[in-house]
Amino acid sequence: MLGYICKYAPVEVFESMGVQMERIEPDVTNFNQAEIRMHPNICSFAKGVLEAVMSGAYEGVILTTCCDSIRRLYDVLRDEFPDKFIYMLDTPRITKDAGTALYEQRIREMTEAYEKFSGRAFDEQRFLQYLKEKQEEQQYAVKSGAVNIGIIGARANESIKRILKERGANVAFDLTCTGLGRKVLVDESEVMAGYARGLLSQFPCMRMEQAANRDELIRRSAGSVDGVIYHTVQFCDNYAYEYAWLRDWLDRPMLLLETDYTRQSEGQVRTRIEAFLESLALETKKQQKKQRKGDGPMYVMGIDSGSTSTNAVIMDQDRKIKAFSVVRTGAKSGVSADRALHEVLEKAGLAREDISWIVSTGYGRVSIEFADENVTEISCHGKGAHYFNPAIRTILDIGGQDSKAIRLNENGEVKDFVMNDKCAAGTGRFLEMIARTLEVSLDELGAIALTSKEKIEITSMCSVFAESEVISLIANNKEKADIADGVCHAIANKASGLLRRVGMEPEFMMTGGVAKNPGVVRAVEEKIGSKLYICEEPEIVGAAGAALYALEKTGETV
Amino acid sequence: MWIADKYIDHVKEQTVEHPGESWEKMLLGFKANKLRTKLLPKKGISKGYQKLEAMMMSFVADSLARSDSYVWGNIFAPCEIIGCFGLNTLSIECLSCYFSGYHLEDFFIDYAQNTGIAPTLCSYHKTFVGAIDSGAVPVPEYAVTTSLSCDGNLNTFRYLEKRKGVPFTFLDVPYRDDEASVEYLAAQLKDFAMELERRFGRPFDEEKLRRSIRIENETRRELIRFFRLQSERYYPGELISHLYMMMGMHLLIGTQEFLDLIRFMIRDIENYPKFEGKKILWIHLLPFYQETLQSYFNSSRKYQIIASDIIIDSMEEMDETKPFHALAKKIIRNLYNGSYSHKAQMVGELADTLHPDAVIQFCHWGCKQSSGGSVLLKDKLKDMSIPMLILDGDGIDRRNSHDGQIRTRLEAFLEMLDSGEKEETAGKEEKRVC
Repeated sequence: MLGYICKYAPVEVFESMGVQMERIEPDVTNFNQAEIRMHPNICSFAKGVLEAVMSGAYEGVILTTCCDSIRRLYDVLRDEFPDKFIYMLDTPRITKDAGTALYEQRIREMTEAYEKFSGRAFDEQRFLQYLKEKQEEQQYAVKSGAVNIGIIGARANESIKRILKERGANVAFDLTCTGLGRKVLVDESEVMAGYARGLLSQFPCMRMEQAANRDELIRRSAGSVDGVIYHTVQFCDNYAYEYAWLRDWLDRPMLLLETDYTRQSEGQVRTRIEAFLESLALETKKQQKKQRKGDGPMYVMGIDSGSTSTNAVIMDQDRKIKAFSVVRTGAKSGVSADRALHEVLEKAGLAREDISWIVSTGYGRVSIEFADENVTEISCHGKGAHYFNPAIRTILDIGGQDSKAIRLNENGEVKDFVMNDKCAAGTGRFLEMIARTLEVSLDELGAIALTSKEKIEITSMCSVFAESEVISLIANNKEKADIADGVCHAIANKASGLLRRVGMEPEFMMTGGVAKNPGVVRAVEEKIGSKLYICEEPEIVGAAGAALYALEKTGETV
Repeated sequence: MWIADKYIDHVKEQTVEHPGESWEKMLLGFKANKLRTKLLPKKGISKGYQKLEAMMMSFVADSLARSDSYVWGNIFAPCEIIGCFGLNTLSIECLSCYFSGYHLEDFFIDYAQNTGIAPTLCSYHKTFVGAIDSGAVPVPEYAVTTSLSCDGNLNTFRYLEKRKGVPFTFLDVPYRDDEASVEYLAAQLKDFAMELERRFGRPFDEEKLRRSIRIENETRRELIRFFRLQSERYYPGELISHLYMMMGMHLLIGTQEFLDLIRFMIRDIENYPKFEGKKILWIHLLPFYQETLQSYFNSSRKYQIIASDIIIDSMEEMDETKPFHALAKKIIRNLYNGSYSHKAQMVGELADTLHPDAVIQFCHWGCKQSSGGSVLLKDKLKDMSIPMLILDGDGIDRRNSHDGQIRTRLEAFLEMLDSGEKEETAGKEEKRVC
């Protein structure tokens, strides 16, 4: 069996020789081998392929010169497996005649090399026959009555489509290199030349010179769908250019989704896709109205299970908050949720049976067994923010492990959002870490920042580096207050980047635990040149939004 | 220097506030710097490096002053062909460095990232995209890029063509080194010359190109001579001097002016004393702003960078009778093209010629093609008993270079070299320093 990765790979040449061909789809839990043999900053897909090849039973791998990371992957594989058929196929970026002629020659050279390696023989007639018999692969199509989503960008693994399917959305098209059906050109007069031309004239990927043609096809395809997922792979930079370009003119809601080909990222991928579907407001929801018991007042609950705190809100039918609780999230989110539930019930003087409907949100939302339904924290923050202040159009939410910016319309519906990536920079955890290093409490950190006299710039973007930068500042006898202020500004810089990406529409609101930190708040306000609205208890905005969802579910309110 | 610093701050502030309205001021600063490097060259560095700096300052300031005098290129663009039309090639990588003279790289990088450009992209490309996209810097009529040596080239130029309407020629450099590849690229180079002829309305004179190739061959021979001398004599320069040299070897190669400068340096270096310290062969980019590296390498009698692969990335003797083929061959055989073993072999040859005591590779943030093979190069050098240090950081964005980490790695490595027992300790130290 030979592995391959690229749609330009001449798979049929090998198949006609009776070789089993497998497209390598890495599904890994770590990059241990890749980080020893390559470098951490190599594209995650290339690292995943290395892991897959090292643990798989391939007799060889066919690579193409598709990008820098794959070029280096080839070098590492060659070095690691001198006895396998590791082949780098020089694939032109130009599809004009000169390009196809060169590609034909390169494919022939590769075929000869494989004949030598394997002892098998290539036969052009058999190849022609094989091509003729090959069926055109099924393409995707728009489905009526469903949410139609198109996928564009870098190669995407199956999990995106699986999550979409689970949420009842239809994949109307997939223009990534793994989603398109293969195009085989059969030209009996010049079999190999025709085949090479066919391969190179597939829908171009970003490495090809003619990628400008992509715009037209994207424009046409996107016209028929409700939303577009633009997929990029971590440390693959090529597709972000197109995303930046499409943002300007593509007239469809678009989600930028970065994945890294590990199983661990699935939770985050799921949150983003679900929030996107929710923002399209088209998700088919099960309409299960709960019956009210008797004529007494009706209560619902929202519970937000975050990485740092678990927050619960009980609301009555008049949208008034009856009680709330904020508890620290321990090692098990389910346990903390139970604690929050008991605490809030106690404060409200109610029993579990008095609550008609419970909506959970936050990272731990799926592990809360007593909830009737779950909604992503992005939609909940939108609804919650609108509840506290209907003038809000842009929310900055800095939580314990992530930060996000959300843009709302005048009805409090989410129009766009961006999240930071899997990185602690600019999050609550980052502040906690720095507070520990400075030997102050988290509360003190914000307060002392306000007393700063000297401006210190923390330049490192990575929280680990920033921590050691802070350590060197301490070593240089810098004042704690000035360091704290520098850290607040570092967070503000990150936050302002998120806000700009989502659009800077006033009014602004900040939510999440970090909104209680006056140093950060001041720094963000300075950076964006505008005031931030902060409600009395910024940690419960998500839970309040979840409670509002629950109210809508019971049909008690609009 | 405080006036200069104030001016830099002022231009930065103006650009951040109103990108597009400060260009004349930026330009004025470049012109002032050109005069300064001529009249009051930097103290503490050799005459040759002073002249080199002045030459590069004039080159950029004069070109930018007239937008019809240059085309954008990348660092591997064929400046020899462009020169035949009386045009200069300003590479986007070098321009990014010049913009960072105003400390604007962070503003431009954030600008690009906020429009959706990947944060993991090379910072040179991000700086350039941000500078152009924000409107801070005007655009020329035409551009050219090779696919060598990274994916960013085609994408950055294509993006700017869409955004700002700067058309460009794309030169697809094949991976393999054989006749078919040379023919393929030579034909593209010829078409490029025809395209420039058409666009700029000036006839192409092949004899000019031949002359340029003759000078180029001579320059490369002289440069190797200079490197040999530099591995024997103390010739004070700065980190940035090597970047200027790289600029010269890519954007002014084939000109008499640059050949004359190298010849001057060969004469000048004879006046300097024998070098007694450790000789370093540098791989890939140099973070010219990085304080710790500056403190160890700028005009240092203990550690001297004797050459870098980015300066001499091609060692091809070119055949002037077939100029397009000669250029194609040079680009295809460049050490950044093809497999990493090709690069490792060329670095090995350079090491055989210059006998460095150690090699340092700087893995620049976002540069997959270079970082991805660093471990392989280290293995190759281990076979040659040359210790190698891998440093991580960013060639332009100081926010991605952590001084503490660079300092620890570098100092441990230099301690190891100074201990003089490199063979025994290399294996043991490896884990600690890299």
